[in-house]
Amino acid sequence: MKRMQQSSASRALSGVRRLLRAYPSLLRVGLADMLAYRAEFLVWILSMNMPLVMMALWTAVAADGPMGRFGQREFVAYYLGMLIVRILTGSWLVWELTMEIRRGTLAIRLLRPIHPLWAFSAMQLAAVPMRALVISPLIVVLYWIAGARLPMHDPERLAIVFASIAGAWLLLFLVMAIVGMLAAYIESALSVFDLWLGAQAILSGFLVPLELMPAWVARLARVLPFRYILGFPVETLIGLESETVALRELGIQWLFVATALAMTLLLWRKALRRFAAFGG
Amino acid sequence: MIDVSSLSKIYRVHRRPPGVWAAMRSLVHRNYENVHALADVSFHIQPGERVGFLGPNGAGKTTALKILSGLLYPTSGKVTVGGFVPHERRVEFLRTITLVMGQKQQLMWDLPPSETFAMNRALFDLPKREADAVQNELVELLQVGPLLGKPCRQLSLGERMKCELVAALLHRPKVLFLDEPTIGLDVSMQAQLRDFIRRHNEATGATILLTSHYMADVAALCPRVVVIDKGHLIYDGDLKTLARRIRPEKRITLHFASVPAPGSLDRLGNCVARSDSQATLSVPAAQVTDAVRAALEQLPISDISVEDPPLEEIMREFLGGERENNGGKTPT
Amino acid sequence: MKQIFRRYARLFSVQLRTSFTLAVQYRFDFFIEGLLALLWLGITLVPLMVVFARRATVAGWSYPEALVVVGLFSVLKAVLDGAITPSLNHVVDGIRKGTLDFILLKPADAQFLVSTARFDPWRILDLFGSIAIVLYALRRLHHVPSVWEALTGCALFSVAILLIYSLWILVVSLSFRVVKVDNLSYLFMSIFDAGRWPIHVFKGALRVLFTVVFPLALMTTYPAQALLGHLSLAHALLAGAGGLLFAGCARWIWQRSLHAYTSASS
Repeated sequence: MKRMQQSSASRALSGVRRLLRAYPSLLRVGLADMLAYRAEFLVWILSMNMPLVMMALWTAVAADGPMGRFGQREFVAYYLGMLIVRILTGSWLVWELTMEIRRGTLAIRLLRPIHPLWAFSAMQLAAVPMRALVISPLIVVLYWIAGARLPMHDPERLAIVFASIAGAWLLLFLVMAIVGMLAAYIESALSVFDLWLGAQAILSGFLVPLELMPAWVARLARVLPFRYILGFPVETLIGLESETVALRELGIQWLFVATALAMTLLLWRKALRRFAAFGG
Repeated sequence: MIDVSSLSKIYRVHRRPPGVWAAMRSLVHRNYENVHALADVSFHIQPGERVGFLGPNGAGKTTALKILSGLLYPTSGKVTVGGFVPHERRVEFLRTITLVMGQKQQLMWDLPPSETFAMNRALFDLPKREADAVQNELVELLQVGPLLGKPCRQLSLGERMKCELVAALLHRPKVLFLDEPTIGLDVSMQAQLRDFIRRHNEATGATILLTSHYMADVAALCPRVVVIDKGHLIYDGDLKTLARRIRPEKRITLHFASVPAPGSLDRLGNCVARSDSQATLSVPAAQVTDAVRAALEQLPISDISVEDPPLEEIMREFLGGERENNGGKTPT
Repeated sequence: MKQIFRRYARLFSVQLRTSFTLAVQYRFDFFIEGLLALLWLGITLVPLMVVFARRATVAGWSYPEALVVVGLFSVLKAVLDGAITPSLNHVVDGIRKGTLDFILLKPADAQFLVSTARFDPWRILDLFGSIAIVLYALRRLHHVPSVWEALTGCALFSVAILLIYSLWILVVSLSFRVVKVDNLSYLFMSIFDAGRWPIHVFKGALRVLFTVVFPLALMTTYPAQALLGHLSLAHALLAGAGGLLFAGCARWIWQRSLHAYTSASS
């Protein structure tokens, strides 16, 4: 009798306690998983060479003279930073989610007392330590090339860098969750993600620093989420912006994160119902 | 037809204990150990024979079949099939054999079986008229005519297996390797396939090597069995002889018209199962006639049957006993 | 000899037919992917356009000349995505599931069967788009290749396709031993991406790497140079010989890997 009268607040509290107890072991499982698939991890790391290819192109371009604010050094720093951020924030949630929805194995996750998104997040987060290990030499090289600009000695700016990278990770994760859930509605959710990646390539500063794009592209990119997944963290990392501007953009990034979170939670319930009705 | 002498196959496998710490250690240092999938196996099979391979999971049966079909290289020993050395994978050899695996299929998943048939006909370079005749005959024998146009993913397991057999037999191979062909099928489908295989062997004289976990398959199809356990060949010969050697008893099942007097059964023999209406006795083969006569005289019998003990039990005992003997070989 | 050729021609047409039947069945998916490929083609032109909006030449290449390289790269990519990658994925999948065994049981050359297993016919869109880019670039240069230039260009381009194919055979041979590596084709594509720009963009050690080790230079820059008339005969012959040698090595490694192959358990 007493248990049924538990308020929803205390139920939520026990849910949080359950999560806090379970999350560390979820992370540990994720880490073991990462080690088991270390060959795939190595292959993935080796495939991250687009920033290096772009670096080669742009440094060759800048050999005759700087492009805007970017001389050869700046280009190297920018693309090294891009590589670092890309590796740290990368996620494969969309492929996993679409596969689980298509095969129906998502149902197994739904039987567990933890929200599946938490479980997914643990698996993705567990990859971060190994990736951080791998990129540390890159950070050393970056420091050697652009040391003066990096916010190494400024705790405020360092905090902004970390916050922007965390925000980027979250934003990408949530976007992948949203697109992944579309697999409950349409066959080719992955094609939708391919479209996103296409837009991201141009509008996030991945291929070309946004400063060097035509002005209207740069302006458009500031109001779209793509930039806040890649370009923005890189720019804070190598100190391209003043602190006030960085703070303001950090706010915008986390606004996007909050919106994505709201959309995810909303869509999740609907997608689940659809998944239960139609299967994969 | 098939000659195997001192065949051995050894795998180098990396074993890693569980746990995160062990996982990290294995990044730098790996422990390898040798697994003997097959150890010094020898047997000879005449053309037209039907032979069953028995043994627990992981005993080496599938490895043996894969070596015989040329998919794996033996570590040592001599193997010839139809005069060919399998792992050389000569064209003439590959035309002579076929391999059907119950757990994998060669049919293309998204396309109808007819597409796979067309593919195989091209692969084996079969002249059209001959191939048509063979295909039609097989399709009719297995009754898969209406299924030919449906994509494989829409067929049931049994239907897929039948189509799989058609695809495997289009080139009229002289040797059939069947690796657990009836696994997962319902009883009637198993019986259909068994019938087909036996009739095919009788009609074409093809040599058949079958592995199966279902004793019913082996009992119905294979007068000769080869038993492999942990890579060692522990028996090669007649199934009935093996059964009689392991369990030289018969099972007598008695159905009672009325409940018998307590204790009256035990005088007749070892009672292995009993209920109010029937009982099963285990009796040495030599004493069966006496036991039956005694039962009919002393008990209220309404029906009586005499059978061999279930093959599953025999095999379990055979293999379990072998394990206790540390893999010692029984003389064939 | 003629018998063998006829046999393999028949096999090839049967394989093609299978791919077409599948493509018709899943036409929606394939069509979308074809459109996306066109989109990516456009996207990859963006950096080039930005660069050449402000500069006249980069590493000695003008905009239309660089466009020829990018165009040839895209043609190669279309051939890769349409004729080579689908088979690669199919084979790696088969190795994982253990169904590759059935291919090895057939009395035809395993490399041929594995290479022709799947095609993606919708990449034709991609192919035409890329060829259009090359033609446009040549037009802007007001350069019509002479017969000799066109021939060497095509010959070198064929060597490029042979090279890509051999690299792919090496990748599949590798996956015989390291079965779990599903995303090898992903890695392959990424390395291939470095061939997008004229090889002169890379300096020093990297250029050597991409000319000799991963012969990307051979794949896109050399054919472009041939078409533009900038490639010496010596270079062209060297490239051709190198390509054929590479293909021979790949075939040899394939045979060895097949020898050591252990099929997935049960």
